Amino acid sequence: MATVLIDNLTKIFPPTATHPSQVQALGGVNISVTGNVLVAILGPSGSGKTTLLNIVAGVEEPTSGTVRAVQDSVPAQISYVFQEPRLLPWRTVVDNMLYVQDRKSDRSRREAEFYLSMVGLSEVGDLYPSQLSAGMQQRVGIARAFLVNPDVLLMDEPFSHLDALTGRSLREYVQRIWLQTRKTALLVTHDVNEAVELADRIVLLRPGGVIYDDIPVDLPRPRFPDNPAVRDVQADVLRRFDSMGAAVQFGGARR
Amino acid sequence: MSEFGAFRPPPDILPEAAATRGRAGRAGRGRPAPGRPGESRWRRPGFVRLLGVVLLVLLWVYIAFINENVPGITEVLAFLWTELSGGSHGGMVLRGEFWPPLLDSLQRYAIGLIIGIPMGVALGLLVGASSVARGLLNDTTLALLGLPTVVWAFLAFLWFGLTDSGPIIAVVLTVVPFVAVNVSAGVRSIDRGLVEMSRSFRVPWPRLTGTLLLGGTLPSACTGIRLAFTAGWNSLLIVEWFGATSGVGWRARFWYDALRYPGFVAWVLVYVVLIVLLDRLMLRPLERRAFRWSERPVLVAR
Repeated sequence: MATVLIDNLTKIFPPTATHPSQVQALGGVNISVTGNVLVAILGPSGSGKTTLLNIVAGVEEPTSGTVRAVQDSVPAQISYVFQEPRLLPWRTVVDNMLYVQDRKSDRSRREAEFYLSMVGLSEVGDLYPSQLSAGMQQRVGIARAFLVNPDVLLMDEPFSHLDALTGRSLREYVQRIWLQTRKTALLVTHDVNEAVELADRIVLLRPGGVIYDDIPVDLPRPRFPDNPAVRDVQADVLRRFDSMGAAVQFGGARR
Repeated sequence: MSEFGAFRPPPDILPEAAATRGRAGRAGRGRPAPGRPGESRWRRPGFVRLLGVVLLVLLWVYIAFINENVPGITEVLAFLWTELSGGSHGGMVLRGEFWPPLLDSLQRYAIGLIIGIPMGVALGLLVGASSVARGLLNDTTLALLGLPTVVWAFLAFLWFGLTDSGPIIAVVLTVVPFVAVNVSAGVRSIDRGLVEMSRSFRVPWPRLTGTLLLGGTLPSACTGIRLAFTAGWNSLLIVEWFGATSGVGWRARFWYDALRYPGFVAWVLVYVVLIVLLDRLMLRPLERRAFRWSERPVLVAR
């Protein structure tokens, strides 16, 4: 069972030419995620969501605090779905997927093609990224993340660069694959609907990277946006999100 | 342990994917047809190139007509034929000779490139990837790049005298900075997002170097290598002109000193034709192959 333990995590970016004063992205964040759950980190721009995920992925170093991602007491295999597909333009779709995988064999290739078929792209393995639409490229990024059989899956606003229709269909793909794989997952988003549709738990981050609220989402799956129960929870989360705006304005916090 | 087996797709998915992949791949890689539909044949690239050559020849004919010091085309071609056939140059003890000087030059050129290009790539990767190496070597590399070819020619002649080593070293010294500067620029232009992606997936460094670093550098490296081919050939010719007893440059100088200008122009022509052929027949096809991923054929988005 995979566990992600985020303990008193702080990240302060030093002053730069464009930002003369230092910026606090995260201010003492504590999150514990254990087991086959999908946790959404929800917050407005500047709340340190992406920074948090980058630190968990090992792409950035924290200023203080610790992050431990383990699977049965050994470091967990992490995979990452970015906001943009981040594919090597000079490699074919299948080669892009195999790039992040240790094994290179016919079986790996078949696995890559299988995950591509899971996101509805069974015919594009030999094409280059430039030959695909933005939505198709993002689906490749999702298939790649599942190919490495991760213990912990990180997703950083994976649908934010897509049009509404493509984003919605991609959410369905992710939900379907996640239901089959049940990976421990952290999803960063600023979209309340997306968070409620996908997550078992929603952590609200306010600007400055401080946790404002931690909301369990106890709804049956699969969830669809037009389901009344889903819409009720969305309305509740949205209320809390709005009250967080007021709390930020007046310096309050629920936790 | 992969969970692949746990949710294997219906049996028809994989064979279907395998069968259709080839079709999609082939459809996606077709070379563009020569000329767009409805495009006038006078505007097609092949015709425009041919027109350029014809205009150049006409200009040569005109200049030769108005200036008696410029040899005409027929004189030059006749001289070239004498060189090729090993005939007599009338009044000269030296008989026509074409292949030995040409092969001497090509051999020196090839050796220089074989040594210089890998050195340039290695230096470029080092300077591009390491800030310490950049601090140490970047200015030196740029300074070498700015040095006129004729300086290399004289240095090679001074250091090595009338031997094969001089021209070869001159080619190496010319090629290395061209390749290194372009490769290091290529390394620094690699998308940071791709590096982060590789780090987040824990891609091991040999694969990161082989796939991301070399692949990401390829466009700049190709530009550098193409420039290096031309600059190296120039350098070789100049060194042979001043400090060799064989080769195309030496042969051109020999006829120049003998006041046989058609011979001089004939060998300059050989020199130009060779570099153009090299570019058209080898470098451009290789570059096209390396950049086939950037072609954007029409694909029905799903």
